Amino acid sequence: MGDNFQNNKTMAPVMMDYDFKVKTQNERSKVEDLFDFEGCKVGRGTYGHVYKARRKDGSDTKDYALKQIEGTGLSMSACREIALLRELKHPNVINLIRVFLSHTDRKVWLLFDYAEHDLWHIIKFHRAAKANKKSVMVPKGMVKSLLYQILDGIHYLHSNWVLHRDLKPANILVMGEGPERGRVKIADMGFARLFNAPLKPLADLDPVVVTFWYRAPELLLGARHYTKAIDIWAIGCIFAELLTSEPIFHCRQEDIKTSNPYHHDQLDRIFNVMGFPQEKDWEDIKKMPEHATLVKDFKRSNYQNCSLSKYMDRHKIKPDSKAFSLLQRLLLMDPNRRITSEQAMQDPYFTEDPPTTPDVFAGCPIPYPKREFLTDDDQEDKSDSKARQNQQQPNTQQNQVQANSHDHGANNAKRMRMAGPNQGNNATGGGQQEFHQQQQMMFGGQQQGGQSQQQPNFQQRF
Amino acid sequence: MAGNFWQSSHHQQWLLDKTDLIRDRQHDLNILTEEEYQKIFNFFASIIQALGEQLKVRQQVIATATVYFKRFYARNSLKCIDPLLLAPTCVFLASKVEEFGVISNSRVMTTCQTVIKTKFGYAYGQQEFPYRSNHILECEFYLLENLDCCLIVYQPYRPLLLFVQDMGQDDQLLTYAWRIVNDSLRTDVSLLYPPYQIAIAALHIACVMLGNESQKSWFAELNVDMDKIQEIVRAIINLYEMWKSYDEKKEIQGLLAKMPKPKPAPQR
Ligand SMILES: Nc1ncnc2c1ncn2[C@@H]1O[C@H](COP(=O)(O)OP(=O)(O)OP(=O)(O)O)[C@@H](O)[C@H]1O
Ligand SMILES: [Mg+2]
Repeated sequence: MGDNFQNNKTMAPVMMDYDFKVKTQNERSKVEDLFDFEGCKVGRGTYGHVYKARRKDGSDTKDYALKQIEGTGLSMSACREIALLRELKHPNVINLIRVFLSHTDRKVWLLFDYAEHDLWHIIKFHRAAKANKKSVMVPKGMVKSLLYQILDGIHYLHSNWVLHRDLKPANILVMGEGPERGRVKIADMGFARLFNAPLKPLADLDPVVVTFWYRAPELLLGARHYTKAIDIWAIGCIFAELLTSEPIFHCRQEDIKTSNPYHHDQLDRIFNVMGFPQEKDWEDIKKMPEHATLVKDFKRSNYQNCSLSKYMDRHKIKPDSKAFSLLQRLLLMDPNRRITSEQAMQDPYFTEDPPTTPDVFAGCPIPYPKREFLTDDDQEDKSDSKARQNQQQPNTQQNQVQANSHDHGANNAKRMRMAGPNQGNNATGGGQQEFHQQQQMMFGGQQQGGQSQQQPNFQQRF
Repeated sequence: MAGNFWQSSHHQQWLLDKTDLIRDRQHDLNILTEEEYQKIFNFFASIIQALGEQLKVRQQVIATATVYFKRFYARNSLKCIDPLLLAPTCVFLASKVEEFGVISNSRVMTTCQTVIKTKFGYAYGQQEFPYRSNHILECEFYLLENLDCCLIVYQPYRPLLLFVQDMGQDDQLLTYAWRIVNDSLRTDVSLLYPPYQIAIAALHIACVMLGNESQKSWFAELNVDMDKIQEIVRAIINLYEMWKSYDEKKEIQGLLAKMPKPKPAPQR
């Protein structure tokens, strides 16, 4: 049998069958053939560019988000995002509709439902209004509904053994007008990982700048494993920021490109708000890898007068309110004592009035502007664009804006308003090969409730 | 995602029907006998295992890579992409998904070259590994498309650990059953049955091999379809039977020569 094997050292075998190649090429649809998105860039994150898109064939007139992943080929974070999102399905987790692989330029595109808003922009809008001494009309239960849906989404992730690991306002999207109006969508799973996988140092995986503001104290003290509790801390930070419009653990971020998890200024900021942890409050703090550095660098006496209740009181959140008591349970320093998403969803805060609504805007007009298109020269000098952004948001507190623009390059870019993508009009069937049936309508029914029941129930402050 | 097999793409899309699988293989089975076909897969599973070991990835990564490989050819003929290229591509992709980390292109290439030369000389003679890293990258896109982006694969290892714990059994049983699970990757069972059933079948075989009678009641109390378990057991035993009378070193060159191969673009 083996005799007729021709061993030919010089001739490389054909790697791929020609007919197979041609056939798959013909079957493969190109993202630019199916969608209009030119000039419609709405986001630029660490891992890619996000465009607002419409179907060219007009089979529906919905908006979509197309994320072009930075670089070429399948990076590890692209792999993780695709692998996880392909499996996950929950109303509060962004839905990956389809993946496009562009073989010619080796680009990877992810197609999502379009979310008009995100908490970064929403909070920024409130802060600008506050600085202008203007009020924003939003339903009383909005923050509560936002928090509830964030918890719901995270509970789903956690019960599926997925940790998000990069929760921050920019990654919490909120749907605009449409069948899913006012629904939270947790996005940006590039960092997410399965729990049980062994931990690689952050710097190993993704050598990029990540914000420290939402980072749990145990991470800053060198904890080697991500846990559910780390996501919960970040949710606590986001909740506080929703209540006050200020990042609770705001910190200068000039020198964060280090791969060392220990970050003195960030810890200092946390202690300035929370007070220095008592031994009885966090017994295992002694076991943290950076505990010795902590002891060397910090003096308890410097934080004698600090506490979360004082901080929140200064921001008009009363220490005896249910919101405060839930916040305190989310922001416990000791990760073992921090509550779970499930416990948080049972908190009395959610049963007291006003009730939560599936549409966080409860049917009221949405006061926030739509996403603006970024121009392609948004790569240029940051300091210049910062100046422009300050013009655009006249009386915004300068230092806050600057701090934020460190966080998100995308958000300090030069902007200009442009027309939306053109709507095609030749009605043929929608794209094939999409992962999940579009199920917007499944939840659509609930959405109406807010509008009819909820009499405009405005509150002055956010 | 350990908690949610029932909603997974593995359960919903990738537990194939046996008759469909046979039908989709017709093209290759016109050229190869069923046994020859299995022997070729056995060989490439060995290549994947050897590449994985050389790269020092966990067994989970190797198992996932092997399942990718089998899923690709469950939908395509062996001629569509040279399996010698697809095998390392599967390891490369699985290591990213399973978060082993990105293996650098150059490391993948040297590993392929070394492994083919030192461990599979009996199949490829003096031939070098013929591909470059750009081939692997190109192939990776085709692989991802054919997997329909389903990258998370459930393996029998975790259920196996839980079952052995539940039995209150020793390490010997676990070691045996673990190896049987590894061997099962060389059969079609990962395409046809959910991982927990494969784990039970592996335990069953291990108990028989060890003459361990004490677990009869444990199996009896299980609420599973014992016919399915028996099918899996049979598939694995068939593999062992095949191995007894098979000398890969002698036969593989002939099998590889007979294997359907990619055709180049027609000459103009
Ligand atoms: N589905 C969507 N609909 C609308 N806008 C979106 C959508 N997804 C992302 N965006 C916008 O694009 C930005 C970047 O997206 P995303 O967070 O997914 O990318 P990233 O590169 O991983 O960002 P990061 O810098 O947070 O790591 C978001 O902050 C948001 O403003
Ligand atoms: Mg983001």
